[in-house]
Amino acid sequence: MLVFTLRRLSLFIFTMLLLTLLSFSVNFLFPGEAIINLSGAINATPNQLIELNEAYQTHRNIFWQYIAYLGHIINGDLGLSMASQSDISTEIVNLLPATIELSLVALLIAMLIGIPLGFIAAIKHNKPTDNLILSVSMLGYSVPVFWLGLLAILTFSINLGWFPSAGQISLLFEIEAVTGIQFIDILMSDSPYKWQAFNDASAHIFLPACVIAVAPATIFIRLARTSMIEVLDTSYIRAASAKGLTFRQIIFRHAIRNALIKIIRHIGLQFANLVTIAMVTEVIFSWPGIGRWLIESIYQRDYTAIESGLLVLSCFIFIVHILTDFIYAALNPLARGNKYGA
Amino acid sequence: MNLLDIRNLSIELIHDDQNILAVDKVSLSMKEGEVRGLVGESGSGKSLLAQALVGVLDDKWHVHADRFHWRGIDLLRLSIEERKTLLSRDIAMIFQEPMACLDPTTAIGEQLTEAIDSSQLSGFFWQRKQQRQSSAIKLLHKVGIKDHTACLTSYPHQLTDALCQRVMIAMALARRPILLIADEPTAAMENTNQGQIFRLLASLNQLKNMSILLISHDLENITHWTNTITVMYSGQFVEAGTTEQIFNKPLHPYTRALVDSSPSANLHLPAKSRLMTLPGSIPILQHIPIGCRLGPRCPRAQKACVNAPSVTNFHGHKVSCHFPLTPLKKPSKRIIKEAC
Repeated sequence: MLVFTLRRLSLFIFTMLLLTLLSFSVNFLFPGEAIINLSGAINATPNQLIELNEAYQTHRNIFWQYIAYLGHIINGDLGLSMASQSDISTEIVNLLPATIELSLVALLIAMLIGIPLGFIAAIKHNKPTDNLILSVSMLGYSVPVFWLGLLAILTFSINLGWFPSAGQISLLFEIEAVTGIQFIDILMSDSPYKWQAFNDASAHIFLPACVIAVAPATIFIRLARTSMIEVLDTSYIRAASAKGLTFRQIIFRHAIRNALIKIIRHIGLQFANLVTIAMVTEVIFSWPGIGRWLIESIYQRDYTAIESGLLVLSCFIFIVHILTDFIYAALNPLARGNKYGA
Repeated sequence: MNLLDIRNLSIELIHDDQNILAVDKVSLSMKEGEVRGLVGESGSGKSLLAQALVGVLDDKWHVHADRFHWRGIDLLRLSIEERKTLLSRDIAMIFQEPMACLDPTTAIGEQLTEAIDSSQLSGFFWQRKQQRQSSAIKLLHKVGIKDHTACLTSYPHQLTDALCQRVMIAMALARRPILLIADEPTAAMENTNQGQIFRLLASLNQLKNMSILLISHDLENITHWTNTITVMYSGQFVEAGTTEQIFNKPLHPYTRALVDSSPSANLHLPAKSRLMTLPGSIPILQHIPIGCRLGPRCPRAQKACVNAPSVTNFHGHKVSCHFPLTPLKKPSKRIIKEAC
């Protein structure tokens, strides 16, 4: 297990190095001067510019410039936003938790709905239930998310009035930001209206999370269905039924775990897709997350913000990837040990 | 009374445009305490037959039989659920490729304990787990695995093929079956391991009077362990009799060829000469000949062979051929006339 962890860690470090290399090189491709793009200081005086050039080592060759850039990132200095001249890293620290919260809740909803439905479809293979689930999943996959979001607001917030249409929590509640993740903050706070705040936050997150979850859930349905069909066709399932186990026992003791192993890695891959959907949805639901901020930065040609935002988001996605790898190893004894050529 | 009595069992593959008869009216009967070999080339439908017996074929296979008796009970009259519970209580099966037949993500101990029927356990539910564990260890000892703790905690990929097969046999024994169906239990195994597995099965047969249906493609190897043998070819019944009858006095041309093709029957052959074989190869399921399926390859085939032969019984030695090799009775004149 230690070797497995070390492998994943080294993979993480090298991927992050590559990502920083990409975001560093992007500075030279954006219009304008590289040093301005890097630091975001558009209104710098000549003296400040000299200081910046010194800090980013622009007089030395490109390798040392990159090392200096890495040093800045490691120190948490991502430059200033070109549009607002505020510090990007503090903005990201304020905004990222909201996105993490939203995308994780959406992932949870997508998994809780998609995987069981896929299993049911596989068990009822080639029966009307299977066809129904498949066609619903096809429909869900083809609906564009911005349209679905608007439709959801129109139906559930405006016409029915069940859920609020925008924001993370009602302005009435004053919750001190400790971790940045709203639900944990609410539970940690000692406000007398803690549970009302919790309900309100749940109502706010429900609609955007569901809208985000639709497309990944349909993919999970298909993944779960194919992997379950594959598992049910293996000889160990046949041997288990020859052993005298009932169908229910076979499904719950043997089939589900083996089918989950096959899809857990795809879930990690789908997470990148989910975050992309979340960015669009954040704009529609005015969710104060990094996705909305990033899309606004793109509109404003805020190159420093775009570059750092992409770096942080891809780092987050990669961490989720590694976590799913660990879950995969925990479920699958074959992946844990040392294997040749792996 | 026969333990198992099957008449004219057919297995059909349901296909879009045409149904394929993979097993065509095969009869099989077994006595209590008997070791019967079921021999045939790969693709002769012997594994299908075994899986149909245990009831683990999936929906695309359609099974039909004229008679299916198990210890005097007519199984065809029972509902599917009743049949399944009855058969899974009394019949156990071990498969070829034991490694693939064990759940790769579950430890051996868990897989073995869940095979133990809770009706065998006594005591309250908190004692059950302990009892299951101890009976699992006993089962492992029975199949000759001494290091039970290491075996119970390991996963299938950590064990060798022969050990996995022993675990499979232990699982099969967990329900104390009356009939054990062994579907090529030693395929892709070394010679020493093969011998160990066969000796284990033979001792189970002798000590516990357990009947064994031993499925194999290797006629020569199987004759050391069986009392009676049934031969199949391409889904059709060929010949059945005691091991001596089949091996020494085969009546069917196919059995003759099968015996002749083994190296020990060809000891007198000079070095580097060809072994005796039938021309051609086993037909694929889409292009099965009508009548006797051996027809196109059979050295004795005549015009009558386009009709499927009926089974003739020579003192318990059953053969399904129009022109058997050493007929004890005269073949009926009518068929010969038709042939001429």
